[in-house]
Amino acid sequence: MSATWFQSPAPVARRVRAYFAPVNRSTQSTVLFDPSQQGHFSLDAPPAPWISLGWIQKFTRKSLSKNAPLMAGIPAAPLEQIRETLEAQLCCEFLSWTKLTMALATGSQHMNVLAAASGATASADGAQAVPAMIPEAGSSATQLLLAASDAAKFQAGSMVAVDVDNTGQTGYVGSPVAGAYVRQAIADVDYIRRVTFNVALVAAVSSSGLMLAEPLPGGIPLAGDKVQAVMGFVDREGGSFYQEWSALFVLEGSQGERLFFHYPRLQAASGAEETVIPLNSKHQNGQSRVLLNGRFNAMPVTDPLDSERVVCYRSFLPAANALV
Amino acid sequence: MALRARLSTVNPERTILLRGATRPGIIVEEAEAPMSQLPNDVFVLRWLGLGVDTDLPATMAGEQCEILYQTCGTQSFGGLDRGRALSEMDEELLAIIEPFHTAKLNYASTPPATMLTQVFWDEPAFSPVSIQRDRMSRATTVVVYSYQEQGE
Repeated sequence: MSATWFQSPAPVARRVRAYFAPVNRSTQSTVLFDPSQQGHFSLDAPPAPWISLGWIQKFTRKSLSKNAPLMAGIPAAPLEQIRETLEAQLCCEFLSWTKLTMALATGSQHMNVLAAASGATASADGAQAVPAMIPEAGSSATQLLLAASDAAKFQAGSMVAVDVDNTGQTGYVGSPVAGAYVRQAIADVDYIRRVTFNVALVAAVSSSGLMLAEPLPGGIPLAGDKVQAVMGFVDREGGSFYQEWSALFVLEGSQGERLFFHYPRLQAASGAEETVIPLNSKHQNGQSRVLLNGRFNAMPVTDPLDSERVVCYRSFLPAANALV
Repeated sequence: MALRARLSTVNPERTILLRGATRPGIIVEEAEAPMSQLPNDVFVLRWLGLGVDTDLPATMAGEQCEILYQTCGTQSFGGLDRGRALSEMDEELLAIIEPFHTAKLNYASTPPATMLTQVFWDEPAFSPVSIQRDRMSRATTVVVYSYQEQGE
């Protein structure tokens, strides 16, 4: 009779995949990962609203929670344990530089460098920008319909930011991810498009508009949204804003088992840092890869199941036929 | 066999005529008659070192697999395309070893029975190109792991 089960050793995995989902800062709503319904998703096509951050390396996580005995009696002896603090931290190196990975690995707000208007005064965050354009009705997450004269101002390979004008809003701004917290009204009409995560690469330009290489994170442009060309990204050491996100890390084992680390709320624990790794270890001064370092503090949520406060969920889906 | 199936998808034209049958161009050296020289434009697998970890709940074996391949280019280009031909084989090898696992099969029975665990392997380590007159060759090493199941 053939075997119907096997003793499963510790998982063997080659690499870790990271996923991002926005936290609604205004309502403090995090994104949940449900291993019972979503555990077998294709790593290349995560369930909405999760967005892949690509592969990461040197993923380490550490519980900083402190336990202490509750002493009673003479002489005092531990009666039971109590959890004094609830803390956790994790570190990783992102293997790609994207708007998202840069923003998350930065300890402060992350901004888009908007294309500068002709003759604009120099600014460290990017000069006054070329005026924004209004997408026409019928635009989608992957196609921005523009007037022919506006479309002609873009080239394939350029980047765009899509969000509303800044008209003196305060509080969290940017859609679908809060890109900054505005304490007092700011004059720059383009400020929200400077901090928005709603950016994409232009794949092709036609007289009717722009075809995007990837869907806008915010989906179909909303009323009031405008389009502006983006040259690159900039962040600063300092400031008071902390980016917050829901994170999911997945390790897929050699036998098909899966290990998930779901952090409903993560905030940067350090400023922007990079690691430089020579491509050829025997040529230390040669071409080197620059990796984004991320160090994060896990923030607590209340689990509605039993009202316990937690910072992380670790789920394990064993391999098929593995003894449990 | 998994690599053989993957190769026939990646490049169905890479074949070898062996014992009167045309097969995908990948063979296991020990499973064929001894040959004085390896065939050109074909992947040849050779099993080398073996390591075993018996401390695990299921014994794990790691076996070093060397994949050799060589080419003289094509006659139509007078062999001047041998560098490109070797690069094509490099790319095909990279394509067929992904994903880095496959189901473990028991060939003691006919048809082969699918077992419970998977065979898996590491990234390949490519050796420098070796040139012998008009022949360019390369050896690539991969460590292949498997767990011993009940009854094995």
